[in-house]
Amino acid sequence: MSMRTGSLATRFHRWWERVATVQGITSAVVLLGCGALVLYPVLFLIQESFNTGDPIVFPAEQYGLENYLDLVNELGVIRNTAAVAGLATVMAVFFGFVLAWILSRTDVPGRRLLERLMELPYYVTPLVGALAWSVLAGPKNGFLNQLWRLLGGQGDVVNVQSAYGIAWVMALFEGTVAFMMISAAMKSMDPALEESSRVLGGSKLRTMVRITLPLVTPAVLGATIFVFAEMLGSFAAALVLGIPARYYVITTAIYESTFSYPPNYAKASAMGLALFAVMFVTLSIYRRIVTRGVHTTITGKAFRPRVMVMGRWWRWMLVGVCWAYVFVAVVLPMGALLLTSFQRFATVILPESVFTLANYQTSLRMGPVRSALGNSVMLGLGVATVGVVIITVLVWIIYRSNAPGRGVIEYLVMFPQAVPRMVFGLGLLWAWLNLPVPIYGTLWLLALAYFTVLLPLGVRTLGGVVLQIDRSLEECARMCGASWLHQLRTVTVPLLRPGIVATWLLFFMASVRELGASIFLMGPHSKVIAPSIVSSWMTSGTELTAAMAIIQSATVLVALLILVRSVRGISGESPW
Amino acid sequence: MRMPVVALVAVLVLAVGGVTSAGAGAAAGLCANPQKVQGFTTCADIPAAEKEGELVVYSPDVEQGTAKMLQSFQALFPKIKTNYVRLQAGALYAKVQAERQARTYVVDVLNLSDVGLAFDFQKRNGYQQYISPEMAAYKPDFKSQPEGLWTWGSINTAGIAYNPKVVPSAQAPKDWEDLLDPKWKGAMSVKTSNSGLQHFTWYMLNKVLGPEFWQKLAQQEPLAFDSQVQQYDRLVNGQDKVMECAQYSGFLDYRQKGAPLEYVLPTKGAVAGPEVWGIVDNAPHPNAARLFLDWFLSPAGQKPFIEALFMHAARPDVAPPAGAAPLSSFKLLYPTDWPDFFASRPGYLKTWDAMVGRR
Repeated sequence: MSMRTGSLATRFHRWWERVATVQGITSAVVLLGCGALVLYPVLFLIQESFNTGDPIVFPAEQYGLENYLDLVNELGVIRNTAAVAGLATVMAVFFGFVLAWILSRTDVPGRRLLERLMELPYYVTPLVGALAWSVLAGPKNGFLNQLWRLLGGQGDVVNVQSAYGIAWVMALFEGTVAFMMISAAMKSMDPALEESSRVLGGSKLRTMVRITLPLVTPAVLGATIFVFAEMLGSFAAALVLGIPARYYVITTAIYESTFSYPPNYAKASAMGLALFAVMFVTLSIYRRIVTRGVHTTITGKAFRPRVMVMGRWWRWMLVGVCWAYVFVAVVLPMGALLLTSFQRFATVILPESVFTLANYQTSLRMGPVRSALGNSVMLGLGVATVGVVIITVLVWIIYRSNAPGRGVIEYLVMFPQAVPRMVFGLGLLWAWLNLPVPIYGTLWLLALAYFTVLLPLGVRTLGGVVLQIDRSLEECARMCGASWLHQLRTVTVPLLRPGIVATWLLFFMASVRELGASIFLMGPHSKVIAPSIVSSWMTSGTELTAAMAIIQSATVLVALLILVRSVRGISGESPW
Repeated sequence: MRMPVVALVAVLVLAVGGVTSAGAGAAAGLCANPQKVQGFTTCADIPAAEKEGELVVYSPDVEQGTAKMLQSFQALFPKIKTNYVRLQAGALYAKVQAERQARTYVVDVLNLSDVGLAFDFQKRNGYQQYISPEMAAYKPDFKSQPEGLWTWGSINTAGIAYNPKVVPSAQAPKDWEDLLDPKWKGAMSVKTSNSGLQHFTWYMLNKVLGPEFWQKLAQQEPLAFDSQVQQYDRLVNGQDKVMECAQYSGFLDYRQKGAPLEYVLPTKGAVAGPEVWGIVDNAPHPNAARLFLDWFLSPAGQKPFIEALFMHAARPDVAPPAGAAPLSSFKLLYPTDWPDFFASRPGYLKTWDAMVGRR
């Protein structure tokens, strides 16, 4: 007995010596912290989804399966959601692939500028695109329909207030991430195979279809699944364009169930968790795709990515495609919004327009707008900076260490991606409202919420880069006697630098435009810009909202330009 | 026929049984020494209010109007910083309830545009009793029983609006039943069930025209929107031809901007609904809340409120908003049996959501 106790004590001592290192403690804190941040709100959601009693009483007094059984009455909404998300994903991945190929694999002029312009839609609040396109292509009197009738056409040539319209706006403004993901894969692709195809007489188009496409298939599939998950949780376009057409998707249905009295939190939770099951399987497939096979491209032996030399006509035609996209996704909607922002009352009937600067004056005079904008930028900076540090350690633990539970955490951090953002926001609201920590209604809660919901984005982005780094480079450092922290500081982080900068920028932008969770967590002292713009659209009029959106876009753009200039030195190669 | 006020009050108290919090109830009264400041009378402890330094208002009113009104208050008391949250009445009430069940107290003054919700909140002991000296200027049936829990802060009116550039005046509807004309099918907007004023309209027209009116209106496939702003925008853009539950305040605001709109006060009467204001129990800034409520209910507060939000005041000594006729010149329809109105909410939600195709 005493021998057994002695052996247990020895084993415990050995285990403790092994674990109680800087690496062990850091790993434990990061894994437990991130796991708790994600799991805690999910538990509230699960509990609420079985609540069949008073929705206001918390914790629930009655439990049952009715909320799940009730989902059969929502089949129409589920069908609409699948249709819109599917359409938007197909469009986003198609645009993303074609544009990424042109800008990454061909020698069209102005590639760097075009690449930056392609990303612009991702930098504006999601509602902006929907508002702009409802002015451009609204039924009856949208600008394009007026133009159509001026040219002698009958009826409406386009109607953005339809499933196709919603999908179109979602693809343009929320599908940019597909372009970014495919583009990144194409840039790190070894061009030798493409060159072999060309040498053996393959045409450019044939090379693209037979060589480039199969090479980037995992990235395209990954982007497809990721974008589909994003589209399922997309809210703004469905709110602005779907409701006038009585076309409800899961997010607008959840919004209406929860932003009313009595609120139907239970049904919203059940709906969200049902989607979670589907999305979790889909995201697991995505994970398998991105982690399958060998992805190492950063080794001692580097290659120089080369682009295909196109003929004169091809170059101009391809660059024309890119500029056409920029015109449709950036110039046209921002122009429509700018015009609206100067109108005394928003109207698409131009002869009735009365122009004024009053909307800008009102927007800037309204203290809450100023504070919302300031808060959003501050949160973006804070969440991106702190978040990237934690994510760097987290992805290293997940993909490089032997820490127990790292596999579970890898799945766990995908949860916020698999639940529609609005439902996860609801879980976060209950979770933090019911903790005896007074952070409800403060920016701290929003910061925690943003970090939690952006965890999958961070892990996906930086995880991909970690997988590209040859493990032997780090092992070399350890063999030479470097401590874990020293190895991280001198080998891992410098190699990850471009990925860290890219993740930082993504975090900053995603925080500034965050809507789904903010809409529940924003309080009188913690206003942020995206829900403020939605609120303004709902109560203050399109003209004022347009002015706010223009101010927000300009502020974010200026902030980004400053940030990008200042990180240029850090990243070695600027992402801009 | 209006029920006598006393009977109404008695029914109300019975119906919501125990609505008053025992501590707050009967003993409360007007303070001994109300003081006159900045053109209004108050019982609030002003130094304490200034020491609290903040006031948080939850209101369903148009955001820029609320911000403007609160700026007027802050101009008088610069040491009290004002903040607000704007959501539609139902959503706002759900938020307050979620906060309170977690014993998190953020809001000081609550404005609800649905009296039914105010009754519910009173029943849940949500209000803090404070009898403002300014409440004397309000009719007894414009105040809670017991007095001091909530008071009508303004009156909203719902009628019909149209765009004369799209619908010639001769063809415009004159009364509620004219909305059943097939020419408005698919070209009419209404509000969502979240709107307090829509609840009033549904309830009153149910009484006046019967439930079949709404059954027929459902066949017109009206489109429901969360806010009057979206409704008016669509009317101005020619996307809709007529607007049911057209808020008079919104019409005045848009007309001032020069928008091509006309307003119809239906022959059978426009529907009126109050907005009720009260201090929330456990308000984090109770003194600032009292000072604000005194100011808000006085002509000194009502004037900037009405200028900012174009609503009619509930007290008779305040002029109507610019360009508006006085309420006394309107034929108004409004509930007199408040418990019945309160009880109608679940039925209203179900019927209205089904009617407007909300899933």
